[in-house]
Amino acid sequence: MTVSFWGHDFKVNIVFGCIGGFLIAIVSSMFGFGGGPFMVPLMTVGLGLPMYIVVGSSLLAIFFNTLMGTMRHYQFGNFDLVFFLIMFPAAIIGGYIAPQIAKRVSPLTVKRIAIAGLVLLALNLLGVY
Amino acid sequence: MKRTWLALVVAFSAALVMLIQDGAFAEKPKQDGKTKAAAKTETKAAPAEASAPTIQIDKTLLDNGGTVVVTGKAPAGKPVFIEVWAEDAVRASRFDADADKETGKRPYILYLTEEMPAFYRMIVPKEGKETLEKIKKEGKSWSFSKALKDLGADQAYSVPAKKKIERYQATLMGSIIGSRGTLLPAMDEKENAKRSMQLVKARFRSPGVVLGAAVDVAPDGAYKAEVKIAHGMAPGKYFVAAAVDKTSRSETVTVENKIGFPLIYLNNAGTSVNIFGPFFLTLVIAIFGVLMGAGGGFIMNPLLVSLWPLPHTVVAGTVMPTVLFSQGSGIYNYSKIKFISWKLGVAIGLAMVAGGFIGPKLTELITLDQFKFVFGWILLVLAGLMFWQTTPGYLAKNKKEQAILQEFKKQAEAAAKAKKG
Repeated sequence: MTVSFWGHDFKVNIVFGCIGGFLIAIVSSMFGFGGGPFMVPLMTVGLGLPMYIVVGSSLLAIFFNTLMGTMRHYQFGNFDLVFFLIMFPAAIIGGYIAPQIAKRVSPLTVKRIAIAGLVLLALNLLGVY
Repeated sequence: MKRTWLALVVAFSAALVMLIQDGAFAEKPKQDGKTKAAAKTETKAAPAEASAPTIQIDKTLLDNGGTVVVTGKAPAGKPVFIEVWAEDAVRASRFDADADKETGKRPYILYLTEEMPAFYRMIVPKEGKETLEKIKKEGKSWSFSKALKDLGADQAYSVPAKKKIERYQATLMGSIIGSRGTLLPAMDEKENAKRSMQLVKARFRSPGVVLGAAVDVAPDGAYKAEVKIAHGMAPGKYFVAAAVDKTSRSETVTVENKIGFPLIYLNNAGTSVNIFGPFFLTLVIAIFGVLMGAGGGFIMNPLLVSLWPLPHTVVAGTVMPTVLFSQGSGIYNYSKIKFISWKLGVAIGLAMVAGGFIGPKLTELITLDQFKFVFGWILLVLAGLMFWQTTPGYLAKNKKEQAILQEFKKQAEAAAKAKKG
């Protein structure tokens, strides 16, 4: 498949992209997260696309997944309205506060802290400590 | 900026309408007067059957949990078991994929009930303490049915046993199209009781939650026990009944548990939480998520299931919609400056729709421990990915990419503006 974007044409191995997207979608909807951090590497490294086409398009792709996943979870009775209403405003407020802080901290530092945090959390989940 | 505030106001008012319609603000305390009257079922009269134990409780109203002292008289020389359960029901499910010991076949049957009490506890005589400690030491592989047998309480186990359990025969094809499978005919009483024990374990996880050894039985048959209902349990009625064996059961007495702000009861999760806990957790994680450029769901879900006794299905099913809106607004912003390749996004998006159809069903089929285990590995992979993104080689490449990205974005914004003007 050929994708035109701002005057450039890209050849995309859509079969590979769809299989990857399908697998990411299963896992992410099963565990209830968005899937962006897996989708972006898939499209940049796996499909060899430049970052500027990936940022928007990956968001669109995972939006499909989140929408479907939400509907299915709702159907299976996994959705708790009150719980949602506690978290939803917090997520929105967080979205407004974050850009204010983002100017003052280095993304690299945040990422390094995040890595340490993720590893700790992962080891905890795996019952290492 | 005006638009964002408007959007926020709309979101909040919509949320409020939903909340009111859901009846979360409905005046529940008003019913208290009635239920209190109904709760006074202290059985002072002699029981119909001479062998049935009597039961009294010292209070009928609890404020966010507390201790109820249960007393009564049972036939002398017999152990007394006390069952406590909540009127409020939650869902419990268990996927049976364990190989049969004789045939080696795996049944792949999903057991599901909507009627599991949000709180259940079997209290056995104090003498069972040592046995209970042993069961607790078994760790995650403990079996509720074996525990009941060891404690001699299998004769008194009755409430969850009678709950209606549905079972579905899962098939590979069914899993692909995302159905639960074929509904199998209802089970007989004995089988239902057996499966209910597994569901009790699936729902309450650890032996300390559902089992206690606290009934003090005197030689003449008089018994006394303290029933603790912890903070953060479901509001509403709690029932208490004492039993000696299958046929000899006392009347059921009722205790009303009230909870107040900032505690909020999560209907589907069957847990009361302090409203500020998840709120601030979400706030912090959302900020952090934006800063590191990844959705917060990764960190949110494992933290939620670890910090609160929430079922993983409800956590996954509720966190997902919260990111829906931030994704939507992101897409809107990108589409305004035509910075989305619709062809590419929709093509991969369609494959992801299929995945999103299957995934939520699989959540039901795994236990909390499996959920944590797989999530642990997902996080390790993610940490690896992020570590790779901090290596010098990647950073140098990324710098170039980001520069191109900004350049294109500028062009796109300019083009969008020019069009408007």
